[in-house]
Amino acid sequence: MTDHLGDVARLTRVSKRLGGRPVLAGLDLGVRAGEVTALLGPNGAGKTTSVSLLTGRIAPDDGAATLFGLDPRRPAARRRMGVMLQSAGLPDVLTVAEVVTLQSGYYPDPRPLAETLALAGLSDLAERRCAALSGGQARRVHYALAICGRPDLLVLDEPTAAMDRGAARALWSTVRTLADEGAAILLTSHDLAEADALADRIVVMDAGRIVADDTSAAIRARAGGSVIRCRSTLTTAVAAHLPAAREGDREGADLRIVTADAVATARALLDVDPALTDLRIADATLEDAIAALLAAGQERIAA
Amino acid sequence: MTAATLSPIYRPPSGIWYREVVAELKRTARLPQFLLPTVLTPAAFYGLFTLAVAKSPSPAFAAATLAGYGVFAATGPALFGFGAGVAMEREQGLIELKRVSPMPAGAYVVAKLVASVVTTALALALIDALAILAGVRLSAETWVALTLLHLGSAIPFALIGFGMGMRMSGKGAVAIANALFLGGSVLGGLWIPSAMLPGWMRSLGEVTPSYHLGQLARAIIGVDTIGTPGGHLFAVAAMTAAAIAWAWTGWRKSPA
Repeated sequence: MTDHLGDVARLTRVSKRLGGRPVLAGLDLGVRAGEVTALLGPNGAGKTTSVSLLTGRIAPDDGAATLFGLDPRRPAARRRMGVMLQSAGLPDVLTVAEVVTLQSGYYPDPRPLAETLALAGLSDLAERRCAALSGGQARRVHYALAICGRPDLLVLDEPTAAMDRGAARALWSTVRTLADEGAAILLTSHDLAEADALADRIVVMDAGRIVADDTSAAIRARAGGSVIRCRSTLTTAVAAHLPAAREGDREGADLRIVTADAVATARALLDVDPALTDLRIADATLEDAIAALLAAGQERIAA
Repeated sequence: MTAATLSPIYRPPSGIWYREVVAELKRTARLPQFLLPTVLTPAAFYGLFTLAVAKSPSPAFAAATLAGYGVFAATGPALFGFGAGVAMEREQGLIELKRVSPMPAGAYVVAKLVASVVTTALALALIDALAILAGVRLSAETWVALTLLHLGSAIPFALIGFGMGMRMSGKGAVAIANALFLGGSVLGGLWIPSAMLPGWMRSLGEVTPSYHLGQLARAIIGVDTIGTPGGHLFAVAAMTAAAIAWAWTGWRKSPA
C-alpha cells in the first residue's frame, strides 16, 4: 500500500496558502519506511503546515497529499499512523491508563496496554489523572498515544520539548527501535542534536521549499566540513577568501571560518597572520551546516 | 499483520463508539461542578416559578408548565456540553488529538450526545418527580411520549452547540450558549406560555427550536397549543437539518 518507491506518505506538488500568505509552493516530500526523516528549518519554513497536510488536519489548495495511498482526511488512511502533536492536550479527569486504552481501541491491532506504557516509561503513572502530570510526563503520554496502534508511520512534532535529557534519550532509543523494525518516522525538532542523533535523513526547509535533503553527514560535509576558530586581527572578508574557506565571521572574540578543507585553510591562515593565537579546529555541527545552507539561500534571494 | 490490517476496506474495530461513550460519561461524572448546575437548575426553576410562586397550583397548570420546563432541561446540557465544552476542548487541543487518530468523527459526537441525554435524563427525573408531587397525573403512554420528546430535544441544541464549539472561543461559546439557553427559553414560551407573551416576543420565539418543541410537548399533554403538531414537527425537522449542516461545516472547516 505504498505509492511511490516505498513512500508511505507523500506530498506531491503541494501548494498551500494560510491567511492569504503562501506557505508552501509546489512542495514534493515523501516519507519512506524504515527511515527516520527529520524535517528542519526556521519558524515559518512550512514544517508544521507539511505535517498538518500529511496528518489530514488540513487539505492542500493544489497538488495532492497521500497517506498509504489514501487521502489523509479519511479515518481509514490514519489507522496505520501514530501522531505525537506538540500543541495537543489531554482530558484532565481521565487516568493515563484510560486515555491510552481509549486510543488503543481506535486501531485494528494495538499493543497491549502494559507494553505501550512500558515503552513510554509510564508504567508507574498508569492510574494517575492527566491533570496531575508534569509537562514531561504529559509528553510521554502523547508518545504512548502515538505508538499504541503499532503504526507504520510515526509522526513526532517536537517530541522531547519539555522532557529532561534522560527521558529524551529513552524516547530516542525506542524511536530507533521502531524504525529498525520497519516503521517510517517523521520528526520535527528545534533540537538539532536530537535530529542528528536520530535521523537517517535530514530535510531542511526554508520559505516553503526544500533546500537540502540528505544524510546528516552529507549535509555537514556539503555545507561546511570543519570550523576553524582562532584569535586573529584578520578581517572576516579576508578570512572568507582563504583557500577552501566558505565563510568567515566573528563569534565573540574569535574569528570563525567554515571550510571544506581544514588543512589547506589553516596553512594559509597561519601564513597570512603569523601572530594568531588559540587555534582550534572542529567538525562542523549540523547546526553550523544548516545555518550555512540557510544563509546561502538568503544570499541567492537577495542577489 | 492480521487480516484486518490487510483488508482494503477499512472496518473500524468494533466497540469504538461504545468505549467513547463510556469515557465521556466518566468525564461527565468526574466534573460535578459542571454536572450539578445543569441537573439542578431546571428543577429549581420549575419548583420556584411554577409550584412555589403559584402557592397551590392546580395539577393542570403544573402539567402544562412541565411541558416547557422539560424542554428547558434538555437545552442546558446540550448547549453547554457541546457549545462551551467543545470550544474548550478545541482550545485545549483535545479535538486535534482526535482528528489525527483514526477515530470516526461520529463517535465523538455520539459520545457527547449520549452524555448530554443522560444529564438531561437526570434533570428530567427531578422535574418529573416534582410534578408528580404537585399532583400531575398522566397516562403511561403520555409519560413515555413526553419523556422521549424531552430527551430528543437535546439533539437540535447539541448540533447548534457543536457548530458553535468548532467556530468560537470557549468564552464566546459560553456567552452565546447562555443567551440561547435563557433567551430561547423565555421567547420560546418554555417558562411563560407563548399565549401569555406579547406579540413581538412570540414572533421572535417562533424562530427558536425551543418554541416548536415546547408546543409539541404541550400537544402531547393535551393543553392549549398554538398551531398544529404537524407544523411544529416540520419546523423542528427543518431546524435540525440546518443544525446538521452548521455542525458539519464547522467540523470540516475548523483548522484544529
